[in-house]
Amino acid sequence: MSSRRAPRGEYIETDTGNKVARKATLVGTQNIMLGGKTVIQPEVMIRGDLIRSIQSSTSSSAAGAPPNNTAVAIGRYCFLSRGACLRPPGRHYKGAFTYMPLRIGDHVFVGLGSVIQAASIGSHVHIGARVVVGEFAIIKDYVRVLDGTVVPPNMVVPSFTIIAGQPARVIGEVPEGGHEAFELRELYKTVGNNPHPAPS
Amino acid sequence: MSSKRHSIVPPVSQSGPKPPVQFSSSITIADSAILTGANLITISTESVIHPRAKIESLAGRINIGRRCVVQERATIGAVGSAGKITEAAVTLGDYVTVEVAVSIEAGDTIIGEGTTIGVGSRVGAGAVIGKHCTITPHSDIKAGVRIPDYSVVYSNGTRRVDKRPVAEQLKYKGLARQIDVLRRMIPSNPAKFM
Repeated sequence: MSSRRAPRGEYIETDTGNKVARKATLVGTQNIMLGGKTVIQPEVMIRGDLIRSIQSSTSSSAAGAPPNNTAVAIGRYCFLSRGACLRPPGRHYKGAFTYMPLRIGDHVFVGLGSVIQAASIGSHVHIGARVVVGEFAIIKDYVRVLDGTVVPPNMVVPSFTIIAGQPARVIGEVPEGGHEAFELRELYKTVGNNPHPAPS
Repeated sequence: MSSKRHSIVPPVSQSGPKPPVQFSSSITIADSAILTGANLITISTESVIHPRAKIESLAGRINIGRRCVVQERATIGAVGSAGKITEAAVTLGDYVTVEVAVSIEAGDTIIGEGTTIGVGSRVGAGAVIGKHCTITPHSDIKAGVRIPDYSVVYSNGTRRVDKRPVAEQLKYKGLARQIDVLRRMIPSNPAKFM
């Protein structure tokens, strides 16, 4: 057993339970917030360097407080599969170009090779493989995005829907009692340096 | 257990010798961009190359015009199915945006001015895309296809012509502003590639 294991684990496990692959590309780490118990697989890319270049006057409550430079905020129990890419969306605002923070809730699964440029993604969202979420799209809670979907920029996806297609359309609803499938606690345990086998 | 994450960015595989380059002094190229090949790579004024973008000149010269943006993981000059060596492998006009994970194959491929190639699209060898086109994400432009000016390619292959009045100057101004912001955010290191 010990001979098969690499001398250094494939993942780095932080105090808050995040499992970050050594082979993930995180640019601008100081601007990336992980809520805890989040898995980042190898080859994931997160662009934390694309920060907001204009500070909104309303959100900064205390004058003189350090500017909030969070570019990507991720909640708890999120799972970013291999090859996924998260980048903050950018747009023109008050006559200048600025990137805006990308916010992701809890229990969000991002499939293989998906590119996320949303403004916000709610909690308990399942995003399949090879999905593109366009700039400033908003995905609410309990949404299932099927494989290969292209969510156009600025689309708002309501809660409890299933979307698919190129461009994305609502094709169904999450059935009653179908919430449990969005739980990612078990999946979290199956990766890391000493993973537990998946429950059959 | 080591809690410190030592290698934030794994070493970029810089295979083979450095390709000859011709950079304008005002470009922004990330340290972790990957340039390979044996032919000349020209990048004109104020273009931005994001981290981990890959430019391969194995199959001929690569020309990138003024104020182009090449985003992360995009591959320009991928040696595709054709695999033949041509004089100018890929030519990007001015104000071209190449988004995340796009693959532009080599072989006299031309992208016209002001065109945007969406996330994850593939442009085959020898394809000629006109000016001010929009290629939506995950589109597959086959090898040798000609796409006229002002086209929109969507739903993986459906095409229409954008008849909206074009505000080219506005679009250019917008891109210039975006590049201005990117230049401040992406640490540029052109000396590494010279």
